[in-house]
Amino acid sequence: MARRRNTETFVVISPTGKVLLTAFFALFLVVLYLPTVLLIVFSFNAGTVAAFPLEGLTTKWYGLALHSESIRQALWASVRVATLSAAIATLIALMASYPLARRHVRGKAVISALMLVPLVVPTVVLGVALLILFQKGVIPIGLGLISVMIGHVVIALPFAVLILLPRIASIDKRLEEAAYDLGASGLQMFRRVMLPLIVPSILSAFLISFVFSIDEVVIASFIAGDQPTYPVYLYSGLKFPEKTQTLIPVATIMIVLSFLLAIAAEVIRRRGDRKLEGR
Amino acid sequence: MATAAQEPKAPLKRSRRETRNDGGSALSTYGLLAPMLIVLGLFFLAPLYYILLFSIALRRFSPTEALAALNGELNGFTTELWSKLVGVDVIVKLPGIDLTVPTMVVALIFIVLLLLAVSGGRISKDRGGWIVGIAFLLLLAPFLTLPAGNNLLRIMSLSSEGDSLRLFFKSVSMAMTSSVIAVIIAIPVAYFLAFCVGKSKYTWMLIVIAPFLTSYLLRVFAWKVILGDQGLINSGLMAVGLVDEAAPLTFLIYSQFTVIVVLTYAWVPFICLPIFLSFETIDRRLLEAAMDLGATRWQAFRKISLPIIAPGIVAAFLFVFIPSIGEYITPTLVGGTQGTMYGQSLASQFVGGAFNWQYGSVMALFLLGVVLLLTFATSRFLRSGAGGNL
Repeated sequence: MARRRNTETFVVISPTGKVLLTAFFALFLVVLYLPTVLLIVFSFNAGTVAAFPLEGLTTKWYGLALHSESIRQALWASVRVATLSAAIATLIALMASYPLARRHVRGKAVISALMLVPLVVPTVVLGVALLILFQKGVIPIGLGLISVMIGHVVIALPFAVLILLPRIASIDKRLEEAAYDLGASGLQMFRRVMLPLIVPSILSAFLISFVFSIDEVVIASFIAGDQPTYPVYLYSGLKFPEKTQTLIPVATIMIVLSFLLAIAAEVIRRRGDRKLEGR
Repeated sequence: MATAAQEPKAPLKRSRRETRNDGGSALSTYGLLAPMLIVLGLFFLAPLYYILLFSIALRRFSPTEALAALNGELNGFTTELWSKLVGVDVIVKLPGIDLTVPTMVVALIFIVLLLLAVSGGRISKDRGGWIVGIAFLLLLAPFLTLPAGNNLLRIMSLSSEGDSLRLFFKSVSMAMTSSVIAVIIAIPVAYFLAFCVGKSKYTWMLIVIAPFLTSYLLRVFAWKVILGDQGLINSGLMAVGLVDEAAPLTFLIYSQFTVIVVLTYAWVPFICLPIFLSFETIDRRLLEAAMDLGATRWQAFRKISLPIIAPGIVAAFLFVFIPSIGEYITPTLVGGTQGTMYGQSLASQFVGGAFNWQYGSVMALFLLGVVLLLTFATSRFLRSGAGGNL
């Protein structure tokens, strides 16, 4: 077995090439993770400016950050916006995915296109467009967290559909038919047959939407008004070097958290894949 | 008889049969779709409609009026602001040619080229690719220079009043540079993962992609710590004495260079995936056969792998290029005055110093138009890059 794999590798790359490529990949990984590592290092920096040389280690910034009322408010705002927008986007996407995957829908091509367009619309454009919509009172919500949440739902929708729709489409149609033949109602069929099979995809759609929202700054910076989400707070802080040192610790925690969330989403999705293939 | 034979093909009947099989009615079908359509209609199409209105409104709003509620003030339409953006002249300077044409003409050529490329079966796929390529070159033209004698000659430039448009083309060329570099870095990484690491390749892929999913702001900020005047690189070079302490390398931060580096860095992990997936579709036996027949590894790569992964590479390029054109955060944080981009200027019309919502709407729609046109013209590649999921 091992020998076969070696010959396979040999076909596509020479031994020297492999060494070079491995070195390149190693360098790539170092550069890829260098910024994150530096941030973690600087979150313990005793100096007030994030610059070399380091002036000793301290955890005081973590203490300051944890006691800052404005940081806490921004974080809480972000968590609420992300949770709500991810839940709403996932729910709407779930509802829409089923007919798109299974039913005959008139104008399916147009609906699918409309649904995916938010993926390519520059966020700056969507941000200013929503700003006009809310600020000018076309839709009387005004600026604030609800507006931000709505903006995030629009962007998260296509992601959620792209995760849910292929999964629903891949479920054996006969399972549904059997449920109906046995007298299940539409809702019963969904709850007892469909839902158990797509729970991992629902979770991963939720997590992806959540991770997106908790990091989104462009749209939020236009329509958050005087209720900054955490990224907006961070963004305005990063423009002033003297403010940044207090922001780095929370940033570090957030990086680690979103990293874990993203990995969780992926692991859940894969487990779902395996479960479905096993049937 | 004739009508009976036609009837089973009628779409109405087929749909009824399908619905019955699914145990659902048309009502439930559209009922399930309704929330999504309402959200997209109210919060996606409506806002876009309102920036369109703003961009062509006859009346000029003062800043306070712009912020006030809408009271039917848009009582007439004009294209004045649009001509402020695109109504400038393009000066084409090629050896022997010195031509002044309106931007609209160039834009029209661009649009026609892109639409030609997607005009279905009329044009072969290969030629369609070439046409899209030429259209992209046209986008770059205002920044292309040719050596002429001892000077560099800009082959196309904009007349002096075209500041926004010049900024737009600058953004395009910055986005193009960073996406090309990103692709060049991602190809060997993807190749390595696809062919050299055996079974653990998916785990490695996850490790490569993970940074993409962490805070964008912070990754940009971290580059300030690396490239800044007292950053990692400068202080490292000072420590070994290559750079004088009083004169750090200032081009590293707050410049076009910084923006391009950071954009490339931010997107590379993301595009490793489509390229990796297209490498995965290559049948290894093809490569073995090629080498059995005496091809070198390079020849096998060029003649077999490259044509197979080409659509994936184009898709990867577009995944970076299209969103980078409208980039706003990165140049604000690390671009300084030299690395400004179109997205910043657009944002400043709404929340910054310039404050002209109507001209900002024109800029926004222009950007949206270009991006949608590019996406539409290249949707074939994008779809292949997304593994057919789109």
